[in-house]
Amino acid sequence: MSRMRSVWLVAKREIIERGRSRGFVFSVLFTTLLVVGSFVVPSLLFDNDDPKVIGVVGPTPPGLESALSVTASRVGQEIRVIELESVDAAQAALDSDAVDAVVNVPPDLSTSGTVQFAEEPDAALAQIASASIVALRLQDLLLEANVDPAALIAAQEAPVVDSLDPETDVDQARFLFANIGAVLVLVGIFSFGFTVLTGVIEEKQSRVVEVVLSTVRPRDLLMGKVLGIGILGLVQLVVFVVAALGAAVLTRRFALPETTPGAVVMLAVWFILGYALYSTALGFLGALASRLEEASNASTPVTMIAMISYFVAIFAVINDPTGIVARVATFLPPSAPFVVPLRAAYDAIEPIEVVIAVVVTVAAIWALFAVGARVYAGAVLQTAGRTKLRDAWRSAGE
Amino acid sequence: MLEIDDLAKRYGSVVALDGASFSARPGRIVGFLGPNGSGKTTTMRCIFGLVRPDRGAVRWNDRPIDRETRLRFGYMPEQRGLYPRMRVGEQVSYFAQQHGLPSREADAAGRRWLERMGLGDREKSKLEELSHGNQQRVQLTVALAHDPELLVLDEPFSGLDPLGTATMTEVLQDRAANGVGVVFSSHQLDLVEDVCEDVVIIARGRVVAAGAIDELKARSGRRHLEVEVVGSDGSWLDGDGSLTVLERVGDRVKLLVRDDVDLDQLLARAQGAGEVRTFAYQPPKLSELFMEAVTPVPSPATETTLVEATS
Repeated sequence: MSRMRSVWLVAKREIIERGRSRGFVFSVLFTTLLVVGSFVVPSLLFDNDDPKVIGVVGPTPPGLESALSVTASRVGQEIRVIELESVDAAQAALDSDAVDAVVNVPPDLSTSGTVQFAEEPDAALAQIASASIVALRLQDLLLEANVDPAALIAAQEAPVVDSLDPETDVDQARFLFANIGAVLVLVGIFSFGFTVLTGVIEEKQSRVVEVVLSTVRPRDLLMGKVLGIGILGLVQLVVFVVAALGAAVLTRRFALPETTPGAVVMLAVWFILGYALYSTALGFLGALASRLEEASNASTPVTMIAMISYFVAIFAVINDPTGIVARVATFLPPSAPFVVPLRAAYDAIEPIEVVIAVVVTVAAIWALFAVGARVYAGAVLQTAGRTKLRDAWRSAGE
Repeated sequence: MLEIDDLAKRYGSVVALDGASFSARPGRIVGFLGPNGSGKTTTMRCIFGLVRPDRGAVRWNDRPIDRETRLRFGYMPEQRGLYPRMRVGEQVSYFAQQHGLPSREADAAGRRWLERMGLGDREKSKLEELSHGNQQRVQLTVALAHDPELLVLDEPFSGLDPLGTATMTEVLQDRAANGVGVVFSSHQLDLVEDVCEDVVIIARGRVVAAGAIDELKARSGRRHLEVEVVGSDGSWLDGDGSLTVLERVGDRVKLLVRDDVDLDQLLARAQGAGEVRTFAYQPPKLSELFMEAVTPVPSPATETTLVEATS
């Protein structure tokens, strides 16, 4: 029988047994709900796109409504203006939330009048109302002083607002992608890598491993486990990402940048590589422990390296994506899965660097499988206490 | 044929195997006997590549055993274990597939064997829902479902009730009748005497006796003699250095004699002493052969016999 089939049988067993467990189904549902909820709920609560309503108490000075509309459109605020009969009617409208603010200016513009809110003044509306009233009164004064109306209109032209290096939606999306990507890789390593770890220990504890290893090579067993649990992890990641992107688009929180497909592919590739690297290490370290309680001890070196790599990525690399730390970390297998997608999200990595990083990481995974499988074989049948790495290495061999 | 050739294995200062050699033929049931820690489990693990010996080789049909060969073997380790939460039917099928059976055949074989083990209705149950005895049956089914050419079972009878013992015996004999080589270890020597044709006795990592049980008995220098003489005070036995009295109950005496004893002369002496009701001459039991073989310092005479048996 081919080794491929053997590996696949192991993987298939993991997928079926774990995939139909309630825990897995619930965790997929839960994360999906969480992601979709985190987009939908705020948009329901806060993203109130309805135009603000300003009530003006009649009789109004001529030009007030148009002044309000023009000023509002300059600051990007949609408003609707309604006219109210009297101060009492205005009071009632404010009380019943029919209007957001009430503007009361004498028709002859003899005073600036009042802008009234029900509770907390809305700074933007207050600004719009004040600017409109002040402009109207100035205009009135100037017209009385026989200023050329055309010149007056020209003088009220707003300046061109511009920035040297405008931050766009794309930049925001990139930053978000980069951070979410690093977190997902970390979560992938910790949740699915630890599933591999506990799976190995469970097989050892239930002693089934001796029956399995009488037909399956240790390396193939480890590989099948990593593959099967990895496929489940990827399914969960895909559900997660699709749900997140879908929810983001539907609720219009931000526009997806054109680089989205590339970023998603990069994320997927490094999720797979990072998971494969760390879960292999966790898998063979798991073989050294004989009980689940020892698992965290056995895995400490690996989790330390993962955490350090993550922090290097989110602090050093985001700070300076082309700096020396970022470049070195790109080519170190433990940190590459965090650093490369980050740098790619910032468009701060050469394609050749990505290729080299992939090759180096794949080579490291392969080496880890070779070394790991031997340690695994040597340790996995020692069921009493913790096995020393050196003893496991010595007593094993395919 | 399975050949174990000069296997040696040390764990630090502990010698697990020290040049063990024996063979097992197709269609024969070999009882693999030895005190605890004598190297039985290590030998079995060597057969399945779970332990790499420091020296020696394991061969099947004159060729070193590789993974492909092992797929045609069935193994039941001493430390039983299967996936606790996996369904019984899927579990048996999974292991049969790992032994190379296509999935549909593996499913069918699993069903057939579970039926035969009396577990046909438990196919969909999780293993952990089964009783201890039934879990043992599943473990045996896992070793059998791919129709192996060689069965290696480490203590298959331990923990079985009489019903389970009967099933196990029947299955092993049936497999052997179908040309399968069967090697199993056990401490229940009376059972081994009933089930096996051949035995291998291992002590301190070396094989100290091997061969057909009948031949080993015949080759042993000792015989049992049970005599019942009515009307004698037993003095007819006195002064004969060639026999040892093991037990005396009333008129009945159990004796240990050398195999070259002159039975006619002994019978005549007994008849002279009184009325002979019983005069039974028997080879030693397997348990005696075992004790003799594993005792640390065997007498020179027995050692010669046993070394011959080993070769």
